[in-house]
Amino acid sequence: MTAISRRLTGARGSRQGMWLLPLLIVLAIALWLSLQTAQFLNGENLLNLVPQAMPLVITAVGQMFVILLGGLDLSVGSMISFTTAVLALGGPAWALIPAVFVLAALVGFSNGFIITRFNVHPIIATLSMQYILLGITRVLRPVSGGTVPDIVISAVAGSFLGIPMPVFWGIVTLAVAWKLLYGSRFGLHLFAIGGGVSSGVEDAAHNFGIADRRNIVLAYVICACFAALAGIFLAGRIVSGDPNVGLLFELDAITAVAIGGTQLSGAIGSLHGTVIGALVMALLANGMNLTNVSPFIQTTIKGAILLLVVALQSRKKMGL
Amino acid sequence: MSEIRKAFAGTAALKGVSITLQSGSVHALMGENGAGKSTLMKILAGVHQPDGGAILRDGRQVVFHRPKDALEAGISTVFQELSLLPNLTIAENMFLGREPTAAFGGVDHRRMRREAGKALAELGLTLDPGTLVSRLSIGERQFVEIAHGIMTDASVFILDEPTAALNAADVEVLNRHIRRLKDEGKAVVYISHRMDEIFAICDTVTVLKDGELVGTRPLAEMTPATLIAMMVGRELADLFPQRGDAPGPVVLSVEDFRITERSKPFSLSLSRGEIVALAGLEGQGQQRFLRSLVGQYYPFAGRVTIKGKALPLPVPSGGGVRRLQAMGVGFVPEDRKEDGLFLGLSVAHNIAAALHSKRSELALAEGYQRLIADTMSSLAVKAGGPGAAVGTLSGGNQQKVLLGRYLAADIDILLVEEPTRGVDIGAKSEIYRLLRDFARKGGAVLVLSRETIELIGLCDRICVVHNDTIVKEMPAADATEHNILDAALGANGTARIINDSH
Amino acid sequence: MAAALANPVMRRLLRVPPAYYVFAVLLAVLWVARPNMLNLNIMGIFVRQIVPLGILVLGQLLVMRVRSIDLSGGGVILLINYTISSGVFPGASMAFFIVLALAIGLAVGFFNGLMVGVRRVSAVIVTLAVGIVLVGFVQYLSSGKPPGDVPGMFADIYNTKLGPVPTPVIFWVAASAALSLFLSRTVFGRFVTSVGENVQAAHFSGVPVARTVVLTHTLAGLFAGIAALVQTASIAVGSVRVGLDLPILAVAATILGGVVFGRGEGGVWGPFFGVLSFALLFVVMTTFGVDEPGKLIAQGLIILLAAIFYGIRSRSN
Repeated sequence: MTAISRRLTGARGSRQGMWLLPLLIVLAIALWLSLQTAQFLNGENLLNLVPQAMPLVITAVGQMFVILLGGLDLSVGSMISFTTAVLALGGPAWALIPAVFVLAALVGFSNGFIITRFNVHPIIATLSMQYILLGITRVLRPVSGGTVPDIVISAVAGSFLGIPMPVFWGIVTLAVAWKLLYGSRFGLHLFAIGGGVSSGVEDAAHNFGIADRRNIVLAYVICACFAALAGIFLAGRIVSGDPNVGLLFELDAITAVAIGGTQLSGAIGSLHGTVIGALVMALLANGMNLTNVSPFIQTTIKGAILLLVVALQSRKKMGL
Repeated sequence: MSEIRKAFAGTAALKGVSITLQSGSVHALMGENGAGKSTLMKILAGVHQPDGGAILRDGRQVVFHRPKDALEAGISTVFQELSLLPNLTIAENMFLGREPTAAFGGVDHRRMRREAGKALAELGLTLDPGTLVSRLSIGERQFVEIAHGIMTDASVFILDEPTAALNAADVEVLNRHIRRLKDEGKAVVYISHRMDEIFAICDTVTVLKDGELVGTRPLAEMTPATLIAMMVGRELADLFPQRGDAPGPVVLSVEDFRITERSKPFSLSLSRGEIVALAGLEGQGQQRFLRSLVGQYYPFAGRVTIKGKALPLPVPSGGGVRRLQAMGVGFVPEDRKEDGLFLGLSVAHNIAAALHSKRSELALAEGYQRLIADTMSSLAVKAGGPGAAVGTLSGGNQQKVLLGRYLAADIDILLVEEPTRGVDIGAKSEIYRLLRDFARKGGAVLVLSRETIELIGLCDRICVVHNDTIVKEMPAADATEHNILDAALGANGTARIINDSH
Repeated sequence: MAAALANPVMRRLLRVPPAYYVFAVLLAVLWVARPNMLNLNIMGIFVRQIVPLGILVLGQLLVMRVRSIDLSGGGVILLINYTISSGVFPGASMAFFIVLALAIGLAVGFFNGLMVGVRRVSAVIVTLAVGIVLVGFVQYLSSGKPPGDVPGMFADIYNTKLGPVPTPVIFWVAASAALSLFLSRTVFGRFVTSVGENVQAAHFSGVPVARTVVLTHTLAGLFAGIAALVQTASIAVGSVRVGLDLPILAVAATILGGVVFGRGEGGVWGPFFGVLSFALLFVVMTTFGVDEPGKLIAQGLIILLAAIFYGIRSRSN
């Protein structure tokens, strides 16, 4: 019983943070929606939920890596738009898709490099990267248009063995993230670095002989690559390049990560929590669409949720 | 290590120190706080890089750019500050940086737990290696840290004050392992303030003072008295000012104070003209008690009266310092760089900070030039002028500026943590004189320090804190290091100290 | 590199906020490329355009000096612009709108301050979230369509001049001077310096840390309210996009002006020249035919380079 209450409140003694409560929220929202509107339990709507949720799940999982070590990446929204713009440039898929990942890795590397080598605050580094990428995206594609390679479209819209493709995207994303976070030394080192940062001893992990800078850079590369993956998925859904498709996505991703019990100051959090957090956001969006809530006020509601979630997390540090 | 030099922000921490470690021997490194012991060892452990000098291993020069290099060269360190990561398990902490891998590059958690459990058992601990460190007590953490350090396959072991939070029985377990390492032909560096430990297990002693080497001697030739004389460099009596006369009226009284729910209540009173010490082993509640008064911790129960006025408990954490300042009480935090000074700002700003704090935001800021100049000259602060950045001053002058802030702010009760941490011997003597002058003029001082000798020399009365309560009170004139340690260890028939139930 | 940084002359030069250098370089470029533009009338019009930014920067530099940030200014400006131009208060007087605008700014700033100073929530996230809450709210009220016109008296005041200098510019200079005096002369200014340098030390020397942070944010909200009034007067119509890029520009100008998280070396005039630099930059970019995306990239690069500049400098110390 005490173990359960500890899980619920996310008290110390767990590194996974509070994830059971958001899971209950997911179920509660689902229950409420199925009682409220007939369309929710409709097979078509349920089938749509997975592709609707997928870009956020992928981005949030990437964002979680940098948040765990006490960082933040505000450039993922622009990264998503940028990816759709690159895919819509009109070239062969075999060149465009690897190019997208190489570019994402480059952006992630720049973020990490600037943060670790020049002592720039992650928020400032990634905020400026957000604008630089947005500018480049608008040069490539001032308004939405162009066409993305067919293979991208069918990889999102089609199905395999009767199972819709987005499910496989989800499986691959989670498998890769699970391996990185729980099945490698890198994952443990992420928690170690975050543990040092959030307890105020920035070089604690370094003193244990961990190559902290390299791991931090790697986390930003992973974050950017996951954003690129989300961008490819979105490009497949909208079938074109759109300079605004990723707008404010970084905030949704941060909200999802925070809802899932991951502490924004680092060190505490979990992959399943993040997925649950993303599902909360996706279900909310789905429910608001079904109940005809104005898309404008949806932005406001999402912002208010973010405010609420971060206000509930206590933090020692003040400021940025 | 030969001719090692290191400076931090222009202040020399080590001025050409050489030390030779031999295998099969335990080498004590002694000196007062700030003498450079920890810095020297951090250089050996690869945490800091020396500005000059060389590290020779078996006659060949080695360079450690990072802690990992030192680890790989077979140098294992137990640091003074607890550096375990709270969100990792005991096993993960012990193997951090050298985790065993399983198939497909995964971490072999099972093996880590097994081996960590074995290492803990050898030290007589029955903790589950899968426990998160955040759930351990301070004493347990220290033991895990020791296990992490000495269970490594290394040839040089550095133990930087490993016993600060351990009780006598645990210290004995540790000593047994140090002897084992010695018998296995390893070299051990042992840093401690506790004379009995030094004489019990060490073979050689090197004494540092103000970043310089005083000498290296076989311990067989030394007695505790000659060792202290070597550390201090002069007769103790010269260092401290004369004690005060009969104390005046009580200005601070603490009654039935319980630091935590489980701790025993205690009382304490502080009078004008008096300097009272809070002594004891580290982490026994002295600091927690002082900081409860400024609102950093919420005590469980108690009554505090300051100059006849009751201080409502708990003190609010945000405004506690302000409330006490308004009552004429100044709190001087121990870590002057992190918690005390504005290193990048001028001496004048640092001194005037508490003066401004008493006034309304919208009031015109006064210059206080006169008061600042007076404070600087009465404290004999050596600085380029009131406009010099505090970060450029020496440790002793920084400490004087910090004290000056509270002295200038018309305060008559001072709560001081570690008044002379990391300052040289000359400045120490001056700071003792300043505190004594302050008391003589009717002030009252409650002081907390790790250095027992300092407390004996400086204070009028000593309260020994153990297990979150005051276990013994004695006049400083009758106190010796030995009887304070006895009380601090709970040796006089009282209970054993820390977490002995595991 | 390290040796060059240790040189005292180099060090002194590094202490000068980059805004002054950038301003001088841009002025030189303009003088070579378009000498005819360098006259008081044309420059006055250019500078007048960036007065809203200049006023927003006054708030930004305050919060950045206590290691915080305010990205909610765009939302505040949009909301105030909407309340003035949408006709929800038909026939209201100018004074009413001014009071309303200042009240909105103060309320939002106070809320930010509570969250950052008392709850200790990440300032970026709080103010970004507050910003999008407000933006979404306005877009919901207006259904995404531009509201009506701004009462004419706003434009009338905006277009006045004192001699050759537009009134808004004089107002900006006066506000900057007032803030500069306020910070250098009052106890509050000392508190801001203390908190910015070391929060812990400020706490232990008796500075009311939380109150200081709440106050700086409240003042930043007030400045956002004033910026909104000037911005609204300058465009003379309602808009659903007005002011959204101002917060990030304000951060850029402030950093360029030598005020980086905690450090206030640039004072008020460093960021002032940071704003002027942006005014010139937009002129230069327009004359060289660089369009919107190019400006976004330039903003990002300027913040990044300035932050790297401070990062290298703090390491060399």
